[in-house]
Amino acid sequence: MKKMWKGNHAIAEAAMRAGCEFYAGYPITPQTEVGEYLSSRMPELGRRFLQAENEMSAIYMIFGAYACGMRSMTSSSGPGFSLKQEGIAYLCANNFPSVLVNVQRWGPGLGTLDSSQTDYLRDTRGGGNGDYRVIVYAPNSIQETVDLMYNAFDVAEKYRNPVEILSEAALGQMMEPVEFPPFKERKEDLGWTFDGTDRPHGRIDNPGKPGALRAKVEAIMANEQRWENYMVEDADYVFVAFGLPSRTSRNAVDLLREQGIKAGLIRPITVWPFPFDAFKEIPGTVKGIISVESTDAGQLVEDVALATKRMCRGNVPVYGLFSGQKIPKTKEIVTYVNGILSGENKEVF
Amino acid sequence: MEVVFAGFGGQGVLTAGLILAEMALEDGKNVTWMPAYGPTMRGGKAYSVVKYADGMIGGPDMEELDILVAMNEPSLEYAAYLKDGGVIIVNTNNVSEDAKIDSRFEVVRVPCLTLAQKASNPKAANIVAIGAMIKKCGLFPEERAKEVLRQIFVNKGKEKYTAMNEAAFMEGYQAV
Repeated sequence: MKKMWKGNHAIAEAAMRAGCEFYAGYPITPQTEVGEYLSSRMPELGRRFLQAENEMSAIYMIFGAYACGMRSMTSSSGPGFSLKQEGIAYLCANNFPSVLVNVQRWGPGLGTLDSSQTDYLRDTRGGGNGDYRVIVYAPNSIQETVDLMYNAFDVAEKYRNPVEILSEAALGQMMEPVEFPPFKERKEDLGWTFDGTDRPHGRIDNPGKPGALRAKVEAIMANEQRWENYMVEDADYVFVAFGLPSRTSRNAVDLLREQGIKAGLIRPITVWPFPFDAFKEIPGTVKGIISVESTDAGQLVEDVALATKRMCRGNVPVYGLFSGQKIPKTKEIVTYVNGILSGENKEVF
Repeated sequence: MEVVFAGFGGQGVLTAGLILAEMALEDGKNVTWMPAYGPTMRGGKAYSVVKYADGMIGGPDMEELDILVAMNEPSLEYAAYLKDGGVIIVNTNNVSEDAKIDSRFEVVRVPCLTLAQKASNPKAANIVAIGAMIKKCGLFPEERAKEVLRQIFVNKGKEKYTAMNEAAFMEGYQAV
């Protein structure tokens, strides 16, 4: 039987089910309930919870714990996540896994507490110094948040790379019916962790790093793209949207189809690796691709344009509906498409 | 179905939304509940949005309301999101008689606080409003709604309040 759960509580409980043994974090709206929930839940399960003195110490505590093989995670929102970037770069430099949660709020700077997707480019491009990528999942429901979190540690350990759950303020604060998977635990040794012996820790020397990173990135791009397509195969206009805007976009597809306009939706579930393969289904007759996102000036639209260039023949126009610090409403999306048809809305790329 | 409960912090508009959400879930629907969050406080503006449907629900925030429950006068601003012919449950204890409401909407006036006091449960003005709304809009059968209401408080370990809350619910239900 499904029960109503708040997004932030559900992601925390899912981490417990996935075998998370250690959490360190620092409060920030709209994700504070993640830590709040874990502060009582983790001791109850005999696991370690720590409210760090700031975001940077939290990420380095995760670094230390994962160096010893403990399933560890941290969470924050936009501004706090910025402070963690140095630590994330070090996690990647050492090929350490970890699970990171970013419940986005509108930025830059302190910004506001409104729901948005303005951290997209930072989080899909690594975010810190150096060349690396973090595997980023962008769920669009609380159930999907739970399901992705449940596998996040496995994926992070498989590639020895951080995995991020990119949530949104509204997705963290809202409630939906949820069913949880059973508790699991990783019993086997990861093979490379610091265990008190002098076994090799799998460190890669600097000259070997470029090749190793390239091989890892290629493997992740080949194996880990996730997406959901809706009515794309005969669409004249294809929306690309992740997270909550993907839900209003899907409703817009239904409304437009009722009006005789053939719309479709590509919903990236991984935003890195970006699901280029999802674009294979777009028909050659497509008239436009539309990025629908809660950003101010367009971020996702850049990946949409790259994917369109690579996967579609001809010069298909790429449009962008940027709703700023709110979720685009179904009607706004429909109106935007009508604006394309009337020539009022121009392509971005 | 899209419903907004609005009022000032402390009037139980978040809880009212949750109660409706639980009723809809029990009815086998997909449900979302979304609070106004962030810098809200007792006495400040507060609201919750509940949406339920057989199919997928889009955004959890206000789009096109079927029902607005206005526990105080500033809440009437959300009527801007109400569909033509939408229903507004007005708590007359906190909304003046001459408050402007567009004639496109159907207005049900209920003295929620007075009726809650009558049920010896002055904190339950929100539950009175739920009773009135369910009756007016025919959302759920009376017995089913009461059973879910009971269960919510039993699950919270607040069994001793179930009779009081049911009394408040019935005051609202019978006021329409």
